[in-house]
Amino acid sequence: MKDLLLRLRKTDDEARPPHVYFGALGGIALLILALVFIVGGYELGVGTPRRLGTGAFPVITGFILAVLSLVVIAADFRDTSDAERPDWISFAAIGAALAVFALTVGRIGLVPGAFLTVITASVPDPSLPILGKIILGTIVSLACWALFIGVIGLPFAAFGGF
Amino acid sequence: MEIITGFGNGLLVALQPANLFYCFVGVFLGTFIGVLPGIGSMAAIAMILPLTFYLEPTSALVMIAGVYYGAEYGGSIASILMNVPGTPSSSITCIDGYPMAREGRAGVALFGSAIASFGGGMIGMIVMAVLAPGLADLALNFGPTEYFAVILLGLVAASAVSNGSPVKGITMVVAGLMLGTVGVDITTGAERFTMGIPEMRDGVHLVIVAMGLFGVGELIVSIRANASGAFQNEIDYKKFYPSRAEWKAMFGPILRGSGIGSFFGALPGTGQTVASAVAYAVEKKISPNKERFGKGAIEGVAVPEAANNSATQTAFIPTLTLGVPGSASMALVIGALMMYGIVPGPRLLVDHSDLFWGLVASFLIGNILLLILNIPLIGLWVRLLKISYRYMYPTIIVLICVGVYSLNNNVFDVWLTLVFGWAGYLMRLFRFEPAPFLIGFVLGPMMEEQLRRAMLLSRGDPTTFLTRPISGTLIAITVLLLVYAIVSAVRQRRRLRKAAEALSET
Amino acid sequence: MKHILAIGAAALVLASPAIAEPGKWTDEPVRIVVTFPPGGTSDLIARVLAQYFESEYGQKTVVDNRPGAGGTVAADYVAEQAPDGTTLILGNNAPFTIAPTQFDNLPYDPMGDFTHIAYLGASTPALFVQPSSGITSLDDYIARAKGDGITYGSSGVGSITHILGKAVDIELGIEQIHVPYQGSAPAIQDFRAGVLEAYYDMVALNGDLITEGETQPIALAAPERSTAFPDIPTFRELGHDIVIENWTGLSGPAGMDPEMVKTINETVAAIMQLESVIERLAQFGVAHTPMPSEEFTTFVEGTISTWEPLIKAAKVNG
Repeated sequence: MKDLLLRLRKTDDEARPPHVYFGALGGIALLILALVFIVGGYELGVGTPRRLGTGAFPVITGFILAVLSLVVIAADFRDTSDAERPDWISFAAIGAALAVFALTVGRIGLVPGAFLTVITASVPDPSLPILGKIILGTIVSLACWALFIGVIGLPFAAFGGF
Repeated sequence: MEIITGFGNGLLVALQPANLFYCFVGVFLGTFIGVLPGIGSMAAIAMILPLTFYLEPTSALVMIAGVYYGAEYGGSIASILMNVPGTPSSSITCIDGYPMAREGRAGVALFGSAIASFGGGMIGMIVMAVLAPGLADLALNFGPTEYFAVILLGLVAASAVSNGSPVKGITMVVAGLMLGTVGVDITTGAERFTMGIPEMRDGVHLVIVAMGLFGVGELIVSIRANASGAFQNEIDYKKFYPSRAEWKAMFGPILRGSGIGSFFGALPGTGQTVASAVAYAVEKKISPNKERFGKGAIEGVAVPEAANNSATQTAFIPTLTLGVPGSASMALVIGALMMYGIVPGPRLLVDHSDLFWGLVASFLIGNILLLILNIPLIGLWVRLLKISYRYMYPTIIVLICVGVYSLNNNVFDVWLTLVFGWAGYLMRLFRFEPAPFLIGFVLGPMMEEQLRRAMLLSRGDPTTFLTRPISGTLIAITVLLLVYAIVSAVRQRRRLRKAAEALSET
Repeated sequence: MKHILAIGAAALVLASPAIAEPGKWTDEPVRIVVTFPPGGTSDLIARVLAQYFESEYGQKTVVDNRPGAGGTVAADYVAEQAPDGTTLILGNNAPFTIAPTQFDNLPYDPMGDFTHIAYLGASTPALFVQPSSGITSLDDYIARAKGDGITYGSSGVGSITHILGKAVDIELGIEQIHVPYQGSAPAIQDFRAGVLEAYYDMVALNGDLITEGETQPIALAAPERSTAFPDIPTFRELGHDIVIENWTGLSGPAGMDPEMVKTINETVAAIMQLESVIERLAQFGVAHTPMPSEEFTTFVEGTISTWEPLIKAAKVNG
């Protein structure tokens, strides 16, 4: 498991840094988003000047955003500098950690939920041995219990659903 | 004269041992809660609300106020140390505070933030004492058209918050405005872009956006950077006292930040987030040290902190004198007062002058307490950075999860944070910045609401924005700013092109 | 262990007399779910209840704010909990009266999924106009609305004040221009700034403005005049049958034990009669009327059907 992760990391690190063309993808995503809001806004109705409709504001901002994102796309295509290298492993692990918290906290409680979240989040860092992860998870989850339920009194269950 | 006797009496009230004690409890609790990401003054006030039933109204108010501005200060600690804004209004503090921490200057940043908060608090207090009746009238002169105009001005200023390309900054502001429309349209009750999910009806909570874009997004970036040792700068744990040059650099920004903050605080609804964003944008425009902004400029920490703390104090003006809560926390203050049969409104200053002046004086005491409490703690906070990041980041993730979950006790919010966190990371990859997005997102719903309301009230006549004096003036200033920005951008480009041509010819 | 306890509890219930006494009803801590964020009238009522449940009867109680989507998030949550008396909701017109008509895909049934336990009280909204407008009676108001038209502020789309505005439209045969706000405070701010001509709001929250002469009350939507504001006529006595009250009650998930329901009802009734509680709630214009749980259930059901046409009108016309 650890070896696999290290190998993945290594290939990821050695990969050629992506060209900033890549940046144009951001502009394209925004353009698509803007189009969604323009179309959706028209469907909701733009109303009259006196009684602006539900869709009026999304349509106006959508149009401005569409124009701006075209400018951004053009600018990013001309940019030839190297982009930051993406770190998809951490990206996935942190996403998974949040997902684990969301899935567990209401079902098995804050303490085990926080524990599993720590374990999941620490996956992309192979420098911490498994035992270290378990100890860290235990400390963090118990501290959460004491702090959030004990001291602050948030209405969460420490163990089990509620 | 009236002010001096009033303040004198207030000081006597605030210095009563009981009030002093509750003030201390308030600021202590507030700082502590503010540091926790996502758990802001709302949660802290709700937590002590049952306790206040047993107290004198003045003690209760002093304690609640202490929690409120204590949390504002505490929020900046998390921003500086972890780049996770403890409260939404300290998001702006991340922009320069976190780079300072990265350079090993976390202590200086925390000290600067404490001093700026103190300065902002003091100026906010003076504004409140001197101008409370006048500022109440200001809020009463602000109808929908004026709000719209001031928001427009704020947005134009805010697009300058970006460090990278200005076009991308404006693009992010507009994207924020657009995404702010998700949820139930408050003017018609129709659902917009909610995809049929009931939790989306109220839109996306600001804390989720701030936590996701700043907190989670940055965290993903930092994992590898830390693993590869890119950030292993030597930190001087003992040095947190700013140099003479840094003191000097902070002075002007604190004054300007407090001025802007006091203004926005007194306008119900705009609040500390907008105050700190606009103050930062203005400072960045006029500072001689522009190019340092975003890379760890002490001014960039001082300005938003001064602004949000002064806004915190002046937010009490509309709350107490008009009964209009500027924020959810202020709504809690009104609720607490009403439990004592004190109805916030125009008569409060007359009928309960001891309460009003006691509160104003407690700002002085509370801010001094905050300094006394926090300066010794700076060394301790900075030591947190010594903890290896491999222990820190899983802990931060849990803190973010709990904070977000506590908003509505609903895991849906955690899922949304995941979406915004990923979006925040992708934005960084594509060199878009989250701060302008956040400002657009805060201001968008307000802008739309006021625009549509103004059009309804004027019965469809758009000239209403120009004919009302305050809004007309504000719009004129906005247009001038825009024209100036465009002209100077075009000139700069022309100059650059000429320079490039000259270079290629040789 | 739990089963033994349950059997024990059942035996106790069988042995106990038919008349319930106020007191503790469960050994577990109770959560009162509130449909609004902390700080509103609703939240404060819940906190008062929680405080007295604990101080008078040793029933540990926490307040759990689950705001969102017009109270339906909170109601949906409570509907899915176990009916063991540990989860209650501070219900009001938002999730129970308005939402069933307002939303098409409501995830719960306001009657079938709940045990409606105790009625707490109601506050009443009134119509207010600018003192400088020269309008002093409902007839003046009708004349103005039919002439130049009139803009009124409500505390939001589908809120009780919006529905009252619609009821007035229908009953008086006028068409006011509705301007929604987020809560009544910003509406009153615009009203005092002079840009809004009228608004509807809870009369008790406007006491200061009335005595200061900053606002002119026209008519009250209560069945009879308020004791605190005896000068304000009711719509009913002016010949228009408009009664819209903002009620609050305590409910739980469906299938709660009837004995427990009775105990909670009695406990609430006892607390609501305490002098200090009456005083506190009077600040919000809320006065308690004791009501057995059966009557309260019929009351909730009644509000759904009587308000339905008004909510529909508000929904269609904005």
